[in-house]
Amino acid sequence: MEHNLNKHISGRFNEELESVRNHVLSMGGLVEQQLNLALDAVNECDAEKARKVSENDYQVNAMEVNIDEECTRIIAKRQPAASDLRLVVAIAKTIADLERIGDEAERIARVALDSFTKDQQDLLVNIENMGRQVSKMLHDVLDAFARMDAQRAFEVHKEDAKVDREYEALTRQIMTYMMEDPRSIPKIMDLIWSVRSLERIGDRCQNIAEYVIYFVNGKDIRHTSQEDIEKSL
Amino acid sequence: MITVAPEVNQANGQKKLDLANLTPEQTSLQIKDLDLYYGDKQALSNVNMLIPKGQVTAFIGPSGCGKSTLLRCINRMNDLVDTCRIEGEIILHGQNIYDKRVDVAALRRSVGMVFQRPNPFPKSIYENVVYGLRLQGIKDKRKLDEVVEKSLRGAALWDEVKDRLHDSAFGLSGGQQQRLVIARSIAIEPEVLLLDEPTSALDPISTLVIEELINDLKNKYTVVIVTHNMQQAARVSDQTAFMYMGELIEYADTNTLFTTPSKKKTEDYITGRYG
Repeated sequence: MEHNLNKHISGRFNEELESVRNHVLSMGGLVEQQLNLALDAVNECDAEKARKVSENDYQVNAMEVNIDEECTRIIAKRQPAASDLRLVVAIAKTIADLERIGDEAERIARVALDSFTKDQQDLLVNIENMGRQVSKMLHDVLDAFARMDAQRAFEVHKEDAKVDREYEALTRQIMTYMMEDPRSIPKIMDLIWSVRSLERIGDRCQNIAEYVIYFVNGKDIRHTSQEDIEKSL
Repeated sequence: MITVAPEVNQANGQKKLDLANLTPEQTSLQIKDLDLYYGDKQALSNVNMLIPKGQVTAFIGPSGCGKSTLLRCINRMNDLVDTCRIEGEIILHGQNIYDKRVDVAALRRSVGMVFQRPNPFPKSIYENVVYGLRLQGIKDKRKLDEVVEKSLRGAALWDEVKDRLHDSAFGLSGGQQQRLVIARSIAIEPEVLLLDEPTSALDPISTLVIEELINDLKNKYTVVIVTHNMQQAARVSDQTAFMYMGELIEYADTNTLFTTPSKKKTEDYITGRYG
């Protein structure tokens, strides 16, 4: 079933839905920008960029609050049903995940405030790889949201397994490093946290993919195996 | 084709019925291949549905879609329209209610109806409730008193009127009058209660009282309600039928129909879109 937001008899309702959807897209854009800035900061060990990520975070938070309010207003005034209701519910959940992704980006950026030795910088390169992978996931899931494309959302959903594998590999590598050089542990702890943050961002992108699928197909696929999801799509 | 959702346990613990395959014990009414014509114009075409016992079933759809016509078929109110012609069957207790041998008065005793505007008789509250029983020739005062209290309690009106049972029914508010009419309908203990937009002439608070009442009634009666208010259908009914231009488009449990309808026409209607 195709979902056309702007075919309501009430023109005002069209405008309200269109507006809340656009706000989610701008929030998504901002969060994506924050994540990329954080990754750049880590990659270039650029404290200035890291501070910028931290400064911008309040904007992400403010957007979450505003969009939440818009959703509440729509529910109160319009009593949305069917796909409209699923859209509003999906949006309310998506922005909560986006806000957390914003927080994780801030945490990742903190690594850039430490100074690393040449050896340790090799680890940073690996983080950079995982980071780009996660950033692509975020980009793709926002794209799936913008297009209301369940198939694309499902592709993102599958990507998370790769991120998880990458996370395990990196964790092993970092542990080896710490065992060899215990003095590096305090600094490396920050690294671990940021790797963990990246992994969590992957999970949150996966959540958003689930909301997109819920909106488009009306199916709640949380806690469902990939095979079952594939069958139901 | 009508679409029916799979059997799943609902949030309230009630088991979702498989509306296409109700067992005879679960079924109150069966509507089978029903066509209805007003003169040359076909108002209902090939309606097939099973209405479960002891639950609330709502008919929704735009004006002129045939939902009131279908409701009126269930107690043969359309017999009163000269140009009306009906094909197909409505089965209650294994018998087609359109069978020539059926006594229409008896049918209407077991299938009561309440209309859009409250229509109390110009009599006292008491006499309104016992009207059907008096017609049946029941004179025993004790029995009548008993029925009045029971019916008024059943219609959630007793506490408001118990001290003025012999005052005129016209002294009641619109919402009270509508509950009085419901009390009158249930006084003769029907099996099925048909409600044709029962709250469209009432204020929001009276509407909520009636909705609460519908919820109480459903354990004892099979309730079928026609409403223009979709939120009302969503609030009070267990299953909802969406009709469009004389056809039954989608018939599903209410939770499914209002969150994930399977037909585009249903979706467009309940979300207020033009097709």
